[in-house]
Amino acid sequence: MTRSKVSKRYAKALLSLGMEDARYQEYGKELRAFADSYESYGELNQALTNPAFTLEDRKEILKALLTKSAASDTIRNFLNLLLDKSRISAVGEISSFYEQLTDEVSNVVRAEVVVPRPLAGDAESRLSRALEQMTRKKVRMNVRQDKSILGGVIVKIGDLVVDGSVKAQVQGIKESLKRGE
Amino acid sequence: METYPKNKRRHWLATGCFAAGFVLLSSFALASEGGADRSADLLDLLYRWINFTLLVIILVVVFKKVNIKQYFTARIEGIKKELEDLKKQREAAEGKARDLENKLKAFEGERKEILAQYRADGLAEKERILAEARDRAKQIVEQAEVSIQFEMQTAKEKLKEEVVALAAQRAEEIIAREMTEKDQDRLVNDFIEKLGKTH
Repeated sequence: MTRSKVSKRYAKALLSLGMEDARYQEYGKELRAFADSYESYGELNQALTNPAFTLEDRKEILKALLTKSAASDTIRNFLNLLLDKSRISAVGEISSFYEQLTDEVSNVVRAEVVVPRPLAGDAESRLSRALEQMTRKKVRMNVRQDKSILGGVIVKIGDLVVDGSVKAQVQGIKESLKRGE
Repeated sequence: METYPKNKRRHWLATGCFAAGFVLLSSFALASEGGADRSADLLDLLYRWINFTLLVIILVVVFKKVNIKQYFTARIEGIKKELEDLKKQREAAEGKARDLENKLKAFEGERKEILAQYRADGLAEKERILAEARDRAKQIVEQAEVSIQFEMQTAKEKLKEEVVALAAQRAEEIIAREMTEKDQDRLVNDFIEKLGKTH
């Protein structure tokens, strides 16, 4: 079985637990917080995956970490399970799948918005509304700045890309000129 | 072989003896005119005549014994035969010479025909090679023209691409320099408005 399939299964299992106690949103945030820490700190990564340390030692390290955090018991148990099954290294991927599943459950889509400079005034909220009207789902926007697009906006929702950038328009003109139109 | 009759032979023999006797008597008569000092000479002459006569008699007897006539007749026949053979050989040689001459003439004619054929073949081959060379040259020229057209088209397209890329790059630089917040706001508003119209 591939790692992705395994990660999906773990994510689904955690979601089913979260659906039972209606805390799946909270679990998602906690899992994301741990995954970000795990992926950001190489030493933590090494400490939890290095086979030079015994499983008991690694569990102690994880326990010490979780004690300082405000993670729920469900997440603590889930992370311990991942450590037992040597799947802790896939925590980032599991978290991503979990977010996708919770988005589907919550009827939410994630939109990546690229702009050359920060959106002014209520542009962000108006854009969010427009996207919600378009997708008929709640939209969670992640706004990112990229000056190379020159101007305008690019929105990516899953496989859908709506490119309203000036760079795209220049490229379109360039292609038209090449074709001799 | 020709044979003489016996009376004829005798006639010849008598004539010979008479001639010998006449010569002998004449010699004696001429000798008696000179006197005694010439008797020795006459005697010598007599001996010579006797000697000569004996020689003639011996020769006649010997020739009769060996049948000289038959020998010469055979010899004549042999020479005639040799002459005839030589004549035949000459005729044969002349015939061969004529044959060879005819063959030479025929060969000459054949040689001329072969040369003419070779010339004709050579001319035909020359024409074929020239035609082939012309076709090949035509093909090369056509291919060169196609290649030139293709290269020109490629160069044009490449140049066009470079000009367009340069123009686009320049346009992007100008837009990046001239773009204001107001412009960006207007673009965002237009984008939102278009999104609203899509559903």
